[in-house]
Amino acid sequence: MAAGRRGGWAAYLIFGLSVFLAFCLLFERHIVLPNLLSWIGHWHPLLLHFPIVLLLMAIFIGLGGKEIPFTLLTVAVIAALITAITGFFLGKGVDSKGSLLYWHQWLGGGVALLAALWYGLDRMQLVNRKISIAIQLLLLCGIGFAGHYGGMITHGEDYLALSSNREKAKIPENPLIYEDIVHRILDDKCITCHNANKQKGDLVMTSLKGLLKGGETGSTLIPWDPGQSEIIRRLLLPEEDEDHMPPDGKRPLEESEIQILERWITLGASDTLRLNQLEMTEPLATLVRDMMEPDRLAKWSALPKLADSTLQNLSTDYLTIRRVASHTDALSINMYRPPQYDPKTVLNLSRVARNIVELDLSGLPLGQKELEMVAECSNLEWLELDRTPVSDSDLAKLIDLSNLKILKIYETSIGDSSVMVLNKMNNLKYLYMHNTAFSEAGFERLKGTNPKLTVNSGMGKDLPSYVAPVDSAQ
Amino acid sequence: MENNKKAAENPLKVNRRHFFSQLSVGIGSLALGSLLIPDLFERGRPAIQGNPPGIPHFAPRAKRIIYLFQAGAPSQLESFDYKPTLSKRMGEDLPDSIRDGQRLTGMTSGQETFPLMPPAIGFKQYGQNGTWVSDYFPHIARIVDDICIVKSLHTEAINHDPAITFFQTGSQLSGRPSMGSWLSYGLGNENKNLPSFVVLTSRGKGNSQGLYSKLWSSGFLDSKHQGVLLRAGRNPVLYLNDPEGVSRSDKRHLLDQVSSLNKLHHAETGDDEIESRIAQYEMAYRMQMSVPDVMDVSKEPESIIKLYGEDCQVPGTYAANALQARRLAENGVRFVQLYHQGWDQHGNLPNEMAGQAKDVDQASAALIIDLKQRGMLDDTLVIWGGEFGRTNYCQGKFDPANYGRDHHPRAFSIWMAGGGVKPGISYGLTDEFGYNIVENPVHINDFHATLMYAMGLDHEQLTYKYQGRRFRLTDVAGNVIKELLV
Repeated sequence: MAAGRRGGWAAYLIFGLSVFLAFCLLFERHIVLPNLLSWIGHWHPLLLHFPIVLLLMAIFIGLGGKEIPFTLLTVAVIAALITAITGFFLGKGVDSKGSLLYWHQWLGGGVALLAALWYGLDRMQLVNRKISIAIQLLLLCGIGFAGHYGGMITHGEDYLALSSNREKAKIPENPLIYEDIVHRILDDKCITCHNANKQKGDLVMTSLKGLLKGGETGSTLIPWDPGQSEIIRRLLLPEEDEDHMPPDGKRPLEESEIQILERWITLGASDTLRLNQLEMTEPLATLVRDMMEPDRLAKWSALPKLADSTLQNLSTDYLTIRRVASHTDALSINMYRPPQYDPKTVLNLSRVARNIVELDLSGLPLGQKELEMVAECSNLEWLELDRTPVSDSDLAKLIDLSNLKILKIYETSIGDSSVMVLNKMNNLKYLYMHNTAFSEAGFERLKGTNPKLTVNSGMGKDLPSYVAPVDSAQ
Repeated sequence: MENNKKAAENPLKVNRRHFFSQLSVGIGSLALGSLLIPDLFERGRPAIQGNPPGIPHFAPRAKRIIYLFQAGAPSQLESFDYKPTLSKRMGEDLPDSIRDGQRLTGMTSGQETFPLMPPAIGFKQYGQNGTWVSDYFPHIARIVDDICIVKSLHTEAINHDPAITFFQTGSQLSGRPSMGSWLSYGLGNENKNLPSFVVLTSRGKGNSQGLYSKLWSSGFLDSKHQGVLLRAGRNPVLYLNDPEGVSRSDKRHLLDQVSSLNKLHHAETGDDEIESRIAQYEMAYRMQMSVPDVMDVSKEPESIIKLYGEDCQVPGTYAANALQARRLAENGVRFVQLYHQGWDQHGNLPNEMAGQAKDVDQASAALIIDLKQRGMLDDTLVIWGGEFGRTNYCQGKFDPANYGRDHHPRAFSIWMAGGGVKPGISYGLTDEFGYNIVENPVHINDFHATLMYAMGLDHEQLTYKYQGRRFRLTDVAGNVIKELLV
């Protein structure tokens, strides 16, 4: 009778945790974790050391033929169950489970449940020596493999390999397709395993020569023919396939990166080809440009957070405020001329000044104060002040808007004295300024200093030739 | 002895009390686990909403579209798709291998031969890339470095109504929302004092096909997304102006009273449609001011009048509409749809085409130049084109001076400019007969997907649930042609 009660509340706890763990593992697909539990999951890497040590102690004592202290077994099993459950919570946060995580989860869960079974049998003294040795050996293997997979998940399969992490160089303006683009992709995703030191599959991808030479399975790439090229074949295999590259657990290539490799091979896998030698409609050019251009939204991620209600409060029937895209706090603001103009509508925008990246105030009877508000918009990239009463002294207020890319000041009284201000805006790319007070000389000075700036002074005197009868380049 | 007997009967040493207490722990743990399944006891939850309508999915290239629709289908062979082979093989029968079982309209299916007909007009090369443009379009030829000519559009429809309906709504059968309505639904109004989707029509002297308001209908979307037809003349929007003897303050008073009654009703029923009706009344009230303001071109300077051509002062002409389109775009209208009728040249093509081209050539080019000098070409996408192409063979009597061409869905040309479209390029290629596409085909679904992409919308995400299924402009097809975009 006394034996039956061995364990007391701990027995109930172990039974309860086991059922809970089994339930979680079986119904994983349906489970969605609340934040708190996801957070608890983060303790898994700390907790996991306890059951490993305690279970190993119990196992070795058992294998050594000694009586295992029941308290030790109890604590070890509870630790194992808690660790497995927190591990489950942690794994739930991962988007797509690779096979490493899959095996780790089932092995870890299996170890915990097997340990619980051992505890239950031991508690009721139902085990003989043979069964208990079998269980202990099984647990030993389980702990070993679960731990091994777990280690690979956190540290990567090549944790012990020599790392060669360098700061990534910026892609130059007119990159060499092989050196600056293709090699960069390979370096990022392939060369950790296919380098002179590691040479997985006898393949060295650090140079074009190595790529052409190939590895165990023969040539890696055949210029002009991506269909026959081993590298493309392997990249395109389904992820479950043994031969798929990069192997399980490694970061796979982005779809666009595969397309770049494919297209580069189609065009002959040259190492001298440059971006500007590609035709405008060539898909490779588009892909490479996409890769070079940093995500527009990323640079706005640090802007102050805005509530939708703030935007609603600030907008009126004549002032439209919208986010540049969903999930960003960058704003695009348009104001249309209302029957009665009230400067306050514009001045109120100073609350969100830092968030404004596009601002259209064209055609409004703007005053000094409004321009001061505009000057606060430090992230402004696109500003329309055309057909407003702005003057040179107003424009001078905007001298610190260094992010400005597009500025429209046509049909205003702005003139030569603003040349200095405009030249100081060194990110300015487009300036629209027909019907302004600029003189020929001022205009030339404007064009001269900033080579990136495109100045559009309208059709002006060229108009007759535009509307003239055909003139052809025969 | 007693104990042994018990042990033999009950090897697990469990009595009823233990059994139940263990069971309760087990069931308790299961219940705890089941708490982690969020909708275990809920059925038929409403579908997960994606992005709220009214905000682009990602940073857009274009904010608005001006669509210069050439209704009736202008011939690609007399405009932008230059095929010298047609002159070399003039009069020869179109090889069956090229026609390849193409379904014909009733107008030429009875024809015994399909003699190849060269264009009656010359072509010249223009711009940095030496793009061929016919002499019918001298002004568009001048801006060829600013536009992107797509020579490989194709459609399934072979007759006007299904073809134009397909272009406008993504389906050959009518009833779906127009693309302008989809964009209005997806992106909302830029200017709350004007509709986001405006339609302007004009008519040339060439053979015309009907235009029906279903082309700018909002279909199953909220009717506020419907295209608003602005008429030429003193009364652009029907019934917008107050009747004689009603002052603006009377109107204000009326609206306030009606609105308070409507609000009462809304408080009672909670029907959102009532709120949107109140908003529509208010918008119409503001439009009484904003529409005449936008439509008034009298303040446009002489240079602009010259640019668009003298015709732009005559309300109802294509040139006037093109100028109007710029003014509407400037005032935040999301989608300006122009139609110019009269491009259906089944006969008398050289004459009619010359007249049609004269109607639209200068004003179309002027619009691009004008948008460019205002910096609006950066965020305004302009599209020029018809609903399909025309055959490379002659319809009716073979007469190089006075011939016709039938409908041709397999390949035709349009052009686009601004709004993130690559300037100065040609995309897609047809065979030497100009009959089939040999490189980079662009289906209408692809075209729609690309336009939406330029506007910052994912064509697969912008959906509307109606009658039990989700609809999109591109239905179940469409790929974004990124090569067209900068």
